Amino acid sequence: MARSARGCAWLLSGLLAALLSAGCGVRRTAPAAPVPPPAPALIVLLPDPESGITGRIRVSNEFGSIDLSTPRASVQTTAHAAPGPMRTLSDDEVKRFFGEAIAALPPPPRHFILQFKFESDTLTDASAALVPAILDAVKALPVPEVVIVGHTDTMGDRKSNLALGLRRATAVRGILLSAGLAEPLVEVTSHGEGDPLVKTRDNTAEPRNRRVEITVR
Amino acid sequence: MSGLRCLVGLAMVVGAVTPVAAQQPVPAGHIKTVSGSAAIVRAGGTVTARPGDPIYATDTLRTSADGSIGVTLRDDTRVSLGPNSEVKVDRYVYSPGEGGLGMVLKFVRGVAVYVSGRMAKIAPDSIRLEAPSAIVGVRGTTVAIRVGD
Repeated sequence: MARSARGCAWLLSGLLAALLSAGCGVRRTAPAAPVPPPAPALIVLLPDPESGITGRIRVSNEFGSIDLSTPRASVQTTAHAAPGPMRTLSDDEVKRFFGEAIAALPPPPRHFILQFKFESDTLTDASAALVPAILDAVKALPVPEVVIVGHTDTMGDRKSNLALGLRRATAVRGILLSAGLAEPLVEVTSHGEGDPLVKTRDNTAEPRNRRVEITVR
Repeated sequence: MSGLRCLVGLAMVVGAVTPVAAQQPVPAGHIKTVSGSAAIVRAGGTVTARPGDPIYATDTLRTSADGSIGVTLRDDTRVSLGPNSEVKVDRYVYSPGEGGLGMVLKFVRGVAVYVSGRMAKIAPDSIRLEAPSAIVGVRGTTVAIRVGD
């Protein structure tokens, strides 16, 4: 008892010290070291490396913001002005500035969706036919990971859907292991109703959302 | 009032300490490509980065003059760094089942490329790319950032 009380006092004094050093009550007397101004940056929107589709970004700081939505649109940012103006970089400039980083991008993750026959843990014929392609995708990667995620529709409550998704994912894990996938590569998880393929209201039956997604990356 | 403030402060200190004690076993992602020399800075120490190594929230990726590195995060987000570069995975939460989503990447120096993953589809507002002089909000997209002159 006494020992645990002493331990508690020690912990509290440690917390107090942390509080004080965090500036809660004591003023620091040492002069602040000169802080260099934040470095400028060049920010560039690029087309997606696989689909070629260009998305949209908003670049902001305390002075203002600018939206970029075209391929290779760029802005300079500094610590003392709003970002901008927009300038479109050439392909050569993108390659010169970012070529090494782009070359270091990991291969794109691949996704497979498996569905079950109605009220069973047997894959549909179309889904069963995908299994060899999944194994091939794993073999093509130098550092593969396989993530099996179970999904449900929004029927029922969130918690039981999380459990249902996990049961479906575990069933798929068994199928892939017996097809020859190495066990250490595989991770099984559930997103329950939190990550639907088709957005619906709560308590909506939607067969497309009852699925297992496999990511090979 | 000030008592309340100190209580809040105490709660914040406890909150800041707890995650370190209960080190999250779930990695934020894995290293997929390395060339030249690259390192992971974790809790003040530095370890050599190798393909297949896990990385965790609050880790920093750092490359030397001859180095580059590429990681894939749990939600399929990909991040790669060119030479002499540093990016911190400041915050990373990805558990759509429990409703927890969030990512903050700090581009500290050098060059890096970000390719969005599932989090940008599920909850784009939960993603923030921070450069020293600006913040980038993304809508499912690829962004390249160079910090410095």
